[in-house]
Amino acid sequence: MFGYVRPSVRRLSQEDQDRFSSMYCGLCHTLQRRYGLAARMILNYDLTFLAILLQDGTDCSGGCRRCVVHPLKKRPCAGQSQALDTAADYSVILSWWQIQDGIADHGFWGGLKYRLAGWLLGGAYRKARKVRPDFDENTRRHLEELAQLEKEGCPSIDRPADTFARLLSGAAGEVKEESRRRVLQQMLYHLGRWIYLTDAADDLSKDLRSGSYNPLPLRFGVENGALTPEGREALAQTMDRSVEMMAAAFELADFGVWTEMIRSVVYEGLYAVGGAVLNGTFHRRRKDREETQHER
Amino acid sequence: MRDPYQVLGVPSTATDEEVKKAYRNLARKYHPDNYQNNPLADLAQERMKEINEAYEEIQRQRKAGGQSGGSGASYTGAYGGYGGYSGGASSAGGTRFANVRAAIMRGELNLAEELLNASSDRGAEWHFLKGSVCYRRGWMDEAATYYERAVQMDPGNQEYRQALYMMNNRGYRPDGYENTRTSTCDANCMRCCTTWICCNLLGGGGYYIWCC
Repeated sequence: MFGYVRPSVRRLSQEDQDRFSSMYCGLCHTLQRRYGLAARMILNYDLTFLAILLQDGTDCSGGCRRCVVHPLKKRPCAGQSQALDTAADYSVILSWWQIQDGIADHGFWGGLKYRLAGWLLGGAYRKARKVRPDFDENTRRHLEELAQLEKEGCPSIDRPADTFARLLSGAAGEVKEESRRRVLQQMLYHLGRWIYLTDAADDLSKDLRSGSYNPLPLRFGVENGALTPEGREALAQTMDRSVEMMAAAFELADFGVWTEMIRSVVYEGLYAVGGAVLNGTFHRRRKDREETQHER
Repeated sequence: MRDPYQVLGVPSTATDEEVKKAYRNLARKYHPDNYQNNPLADLAQERMKEINEAYEEIQRQRKAGGQSGGSGASYTGAYGGYGGYSGGASSAGGTRFANVRAAIMRGELNLAEELLNASSDRGAEWHFLKGSVCYRRGWMDEAATYYERAVQMDPGNQEYRQALYMMNNRGYRPDGYENTRTSTCDANCMRCCTTWICCNLLGGGGYYIWCC
């Protein structure tokens, strides 16, 4: 369900871009330090964005480091921080529950890769659950609620999106300062809502073929295996509303050195990804990106 | 009080014109219209107050210091209007659902919803208030549907039209990001535009259509 959030690179200075990739590397190293090598496979941009939101507006430079993926060249890498630790713990919990969901949704053969992943991540999950019992409980409860809505074939898009949104806004639960916590909860709520809707749009043709639950065809018209133009426009508008709510909340807290990065996400990056998903060009881009990552 | 120049994000050597520009940009950003019925409206209101005070303080200092203070009349009146609402559903308007309106204003959304669900009167105001509850929760799709229905049932009501209009208002945009949106335009571009124009008419609004 993750992998949709990214900054709009053309808006960022070299310094901002480097800071973002050092946070990405920092989260990767934190995952390995706390949970071992296997936990690194769950790293993605959305979780890096979560770490940045939880960071208190400072960067936490940790110098340059080598790693398995980049053995030859040392890369700038964020050092230890509370936000990275928290984001790593939450990442493990979210990913583990997502894998359980995959096992439940697939048959024996289709579920093999999920069971393998679950087996690899099992130890990490048990450790993370001990450190963050509240977030683990929050995640389990909301995913159960979501499974129930799926079973009922809920025709509303707001209800299941709300469940996922509340799940994600729980990630701000440990932020101490009240006004900052409220701002982050609101941002994460609408990020969750947007991710849910984007993911539903992304999976639409697959779900229509397999008959799996997807709220979009129940809410909007479908023709020839895709949403009607009117349906897509209505979906785009309601996704826009969530990005605008994120932006309005973003303006109410101080994000320090991360301000430009987050601004490029909430005023452009999310619109671009949402547009690509709705136009059916996102997957091609994702494949391209994965190939270039392998080459690197 | 924080340094007023720091609040406006300008150096103390800034010209009157630069101070005014910074103030206007911030006032546009935290304008009450951008936080209507938003759970964070109180935080935006605080920011607005701080900005207004900083601007007035700079005006006062500069007048006292004999600098040309003539360029900036205070915008407090124009932009300071936060008190006027507390959440989409004000206490003015219809009186049939006064208890629901009060619950929404206090942020007690579950109570408001229970009261609405228990009511047998499902007229325009009921739909408007259902929309307000949905909007405050972040259920934007259902909020739009309820607001549209309320306007359809009572097209002459300014409060309902205003709510729908504000929902379609794109909010503050920083310089350079004015036109970004989830564009779904491709070969069906003309049809998208038609949809947009319809929305505009319904909302009674005069806002721009961005297409392609």
